[in-house]
Amino acid sequence: MDQGQLMRSARFRKEREADWKRLERLVTEAETHGIQHMSFAAARDLSALYRQATTALAIAREVSLDKALLEYLEALTARAYLSVYAPQERVGGVLRRFFAQSAPRAMRRSWPFILAAYLCLGLGVFVGYLLYQESTGWYHVFMPSGLAGGRGPEATTEFLRRALYDEAPDKSALGAFATFLFSHNTQVAFLVFGLGVFLCVPAILLTVQNGLSLGAFFALYVDRGLGVDLAAWLSVHGVTELSAICVACAGGLQLGWAVLFPGDRTRRDALRHAGRDAAKLAIVAAAMLLVAAVLEGFARQLIQQPETRFALGWGVGLLWLAWVVLAGRSPR
Amino acid sequence: MIRRSRPSEKRPPVDEIMPPEGVPLKLKVAGVGVRLAAQIADVLITFVGALAIFLLLIALGATDPTSTLAIGVMLFFLIRVPYYVVSELVWNGQTLGKRLMKIKVVAHDGGPLTTHAVVARNLMKEAEVLLPATLLLALDADEPVLMLLGLAWIVITLLVPLLNRYRMRLGDMIAGTHVIHLPVPILLKDLAAEAPRGAATGDRFTFLPHQLDHYGAFELQTLEKFLRVEERSVALSEYTNHRATLAAIVDRIQHKIGHADPIPPSDHREFLRAFYNAQREHLEQRQLFGDRRKDKHFAASSEDE
Repeated sequence: MDQGQLMRSARFRKEREADWKRLERLVTEAETHGIQHMSFAAARDLSALYRQATTALAIAREVSLDKALLEYLEALTARAYLSVYAPQERVGGVLRRFFAQSAPRAMRRSWPFILAAYLCLGLGVFVGYLLYQESTGWYHVFMPSGLAGGRGPEATTEFLRRALYDEAPDKSALGAFATFLFSHNTQVAFLVFGLGVFLCVPAILLTVQNGLSLGAFFALYVDRGLGVDLAAWLSVHGVTELSAICVACAGGLQLGWAVLFPGDRTRRDALRHAGRDAAKLAIVAAAMLLVAAVLEGFARQLIQQPETRFALGWGVGLLWLAWVVLAGRSPR
Repeated sequence: MIRRSRPSEKRPPVDEIMPPEGVPLKLKVAGVGVRLAAQIADVLITFVGALAIFLLLIALGATDPTSTLAIGVMLFFLIRVPYYVVSELVWNGQTLGKRLMKIKVVAHDGGPLTTHAVVARNLMKEAEVLLPATLLLALDADEPVLMLLGLAWIVITLLVPLLNRYRMRLGDMIAGTHVIHLPVPILLKDLAAEAPRGAATGDRFTFLPHQLDHYGAFELQTLEKFLRVEERSVALSEYTNHRATLAAIVDRIQHKIGHADPIPPSDHREFLRAFYNAQREHLEQRQLFGDRRKDKHFAASSEDE
């Protein structure tokens, strides 16, 4: 049958079929090798043919009733669309850009939430400390028994001191690293972030509760005259780890805030918008927890002098602060 | 009375995505079952990877028995988190498990899939299900409150995808993505463009405009589907059955359009092909003039409007 006798839609198809077949081959190539590895001509043709196919699909929806053709074009255009609009970033570049620019910027943008998280923790510590002073019975209310490890109001001062300066732990360094990575505080950090979506309250409660147990713990040691030693012992990893909890809490608070007060947006849009910074805070918190685990697993066993412990812990804390305040500022 | 915020007909169809070119594309939203299967495949892959390194560490004597569990969990975690992010970045929204199940992550608004979206949805996956699950395994029984909290959290997050049209997880909502089935483009032959078998078919069966006014696009495409099955060679056992269906359809169409001449069984197929061509040409012609006929009830429905 020659061209003239064909009906309009069949002619439409016959004229473009070769292009579609070529697009199909290019899409397969892009999907298997990635657009970055295609030749210039192939990549150029891919996007040009994709736009032609989009137009063809729009026309075919108007003029053709050939179901096979319509389904083919739908699928082909969709596949081409997915390859043309693929993420084009290299993994290394993503990492560098994140730590050099986007993460510190996100931290600076969400300073009210971070401040609020630190206040929650501080409030917890303060109240926990005062309550212990009032009655040592509070200690067992705030401190999970699994965590205390026998360090309670009944323990002897000597036992408490030994816990701070334990020379030979019975674990390998890697084992200690692993244990502390999945320590209680990591669980708290992730719970705090995740629960933020539920309208902030659980995140605040968990952070305050964490502060309470810390305050009671601190009060116990101050009571025995070991306050400075405990502060040094905690500083090594605590500065980083507690900050990580606060950062995670700030991320959770941001999500919860978006759900509670979406403003002019719909709740889902607000959540998506807040998620941009909250996700970055969560990554930062995770990185801080990793560093804290390294400090706790390795450094704390090696360093025994309180002065060095203070210097290391707060030094690392200062580095974090400098990174947050200074990194990723655009030059004026 | 409860006021509905928006009538449901106004919302765009679930399976549609609007790319920047402005021509809506149909991309079928992947169900929870398929995604669970892909997820299980991914967990297995990362687990085997962690196990390999773990066994290597034991062989090298780098661990000791007291911290075995902790190291195992840590390895699994340290391998799993980058695995999802990197594979979805490199393979454009697909992990190995997703490749296996032929599903893919797309940006909900039709734009490109950004790095932020990939990272956000996979981080939320950790916070949503995987970490609470790991913690549940690692927690002692003497912390029932935390345990119950974790369990409740997992159950709630698993329910979220069942409650929205796009089957989005919480992570999908935050990242602005959803998961689709990868469409497979297969171009079948154009029925109308093929030369009909048997010479001069076009002359043997002619249809008048009023005869073609009975059916709409739905009937035409049903007929197309039937004719395509016809294309394939039919097994001998089904042959008689098939001839009977063919005869029934021809009889039905003849009756409906008032085609008087009897058609011998050997010509049934040619008749249907000719009718398909004529009907399609007619309907496409009508469509060009803005007269879309969805199915055979088009006359009644157009009066309603």
